[in-house]
Amino acid sequence: MKITRVILIAFGVALLIVGALVLLATVEPTNYLGIAIWFLGALIIHDGILGPVVFGVSVVMRKSSRRIPFGVLLIIQGALVIGALFTAIVVPEILKQGIGTANPTLLPLEYGRNLVVFYVALAVVTAAAIAVYIGMRRRKQQHHPA
Amino acid sequence: MQRLLFELRNRLHAPSRNPRTAVVFGRLLAIAFLLCFGTGIYSHFIQEPLPWMSFATRPIWLYQVTQGVHIVAGILCFPLIFAKLYAVYPELFKTPPITGFANFLERASIALFVASSLVQITIGLLNTYQWYALFPFPFRQTHFALSFVIIGSLAIHIAVKLPIIAKYWRKKDNYEPEPELEPDQFVPAAGELQPIHGITGKVFNWIDSSPEAQKPQASRRGFFVIFGLASAALVTLTAGQSFKVFDATNVFGPRKNGIGPNALPINRTAKKADVVDKASSPDWRLTVINGTAAMTYSLAELNAMPQYEVELPIACVEGWSQMATWKGPRLRDLIDSVDGEAIGTVKATSLEEGSLYAISEMGPEFARDELTLVALEVNGETLDLDHGYPARLIAPARPGVLQTKWLSSLEVLA
Repeated sequence: MKITRVILIAFGVALLIVGALVLLATVEPTNYLGIAIWFLGALIIHDGILGPVVFGVSVVMRKSSRRIPFGVLLIIQGALVIGALFTAIVVPEILKQGIGTANPTLLPLEYGRNLVVFYVALAVVTAAAIAVYIGMRRRKQQHHPA
Repeated sequence: MQRLLFELRNRLHAPSRNPRTAVVFGRLLAIAFLLCFGTGIYSHFIQEPLPWMSFATRPIWLYQVTQGVHIVAGILCFPLIFAKLYAVYPELFKTPPITGFANFLERASIALFVASSLVQITIGLLNTYQWYALFPFPFRQTHFALSFVIIGSLAIHIAVKLPIIAKYWRKKDNYEPEPELEPDQFVPAAGELQPIHGITGKVFNWIDSSPEAQKPQASRRGFFVIFGLASAALVTLTAGQSFKVFDATNVFGPRKNGIGPNALPINRTAKKADVVDKASSPDWRLTVINGTAAMTYSLAELNAMPQYEVELPIACVEGWSQMATWKGPRLRDLIDSVDGEAIGTVKATSLEEGSLYAISEMGPEFARDELTLVALEVNGETLDLDHGYPARLIAPARPGVLQTKWLSSLEVLA
């Protein structure tokens, strides 16, 4: 294992050097500040904003687990995660479409409307999943009364 | 503060966050990163080949698939990277943050890895929307340089975590007994763990007064199901821009098959390229040059040559692609008319001036290929001005940006 680790680290450091050299050779120094700001921004958004938000949501979920069955919470959490993911990917697309594109074949669809339809579909599927889960749970409890 | 971090970390300990989950998502993420890296390197060198390089011309959809995979795997990195980071989330609050020089290097390398990965997938996504104004640096060069940083960081990360990866590689080796958190340096002795007072204490007590998740297995399984559904939805609703099977469900892809002139999307319009007048002029001629030998063809003369019809995809570096039917004379017939058979590397020049893509070069493997045409028609119609009227290159397994539009001259290079 030790040899594997040494080889991997040497390989990794070599690639980091290649990356740095490629950057120095092909990107103008005036752009370095912009790249550094993006790196810092990524860490701040991830560790400083997304992190605490996820922690907050977890706490709320856990607090709710006294009144709401665990499975239902899990389904709601899943829907929230999927909704957030699509929001993160599609909203920039809608914004860019609003600003304007180089030609009409780029971003040609009605992304805003599609996203709303997606949210509605997600809500319907989530509600159905919760209904099925609660139904199954009740049946189980009837068969095996505590 | 140390105590606060310790408590935070323990509050975050959940069944779905354990080393096995981290290893499972780490593996998937590594595969996605390597797919993106491999296909990205291929795309880079097919555009900027080293002198000795030669490329496969079959299957004709080779580039369409490598670049489609690049974009789909890149989009899948979003759920993957968030799942992976979620699985190791409590590590963020490890106390003390740094225990020594080696540990500092490890944490710094992880910060670099996380930051470069997040930046890479974000600028990649924004590139497919062509939203360049958002980043104050050139996309292509930065994306290329960062790919080495990411794969290098990945190798280092695997080396550092190798014992954990090996331990939790197989399913049967884990979950039972429930793995513990990696111990903190800061572990309060039993008697020392006095209740925290004040607001912090109240908050933690408030959290603790709820029951823990009762079903760790359901929680873990739920986590994987959520990830699977998110990924399946992403592919289904966006991959249609690259893969025909998902075309019907393509509602979020930045491109849509069939939308555009000649029922085909475009990237650069004739107007943007400033070629409208020259390309529509009846005086347009295509010049074919080999050293001192030269031939000029009018559009009518090109149309009078033997015409071939081929099915080839137009496949953009941005990942979208679409199959089309092209018609026109073979490139090699034109080259042969100036005795260029033996040499074969061809430089194509567009009417467009001063652009990076005004000139393209193709190696003999493409130039001699029977499917490589100087296309005059697409999908049964004359080429639209935006698709390169009067004539453009089309060759198999090659990125769209090299399929030069508004051809002005073809030169055989010595």
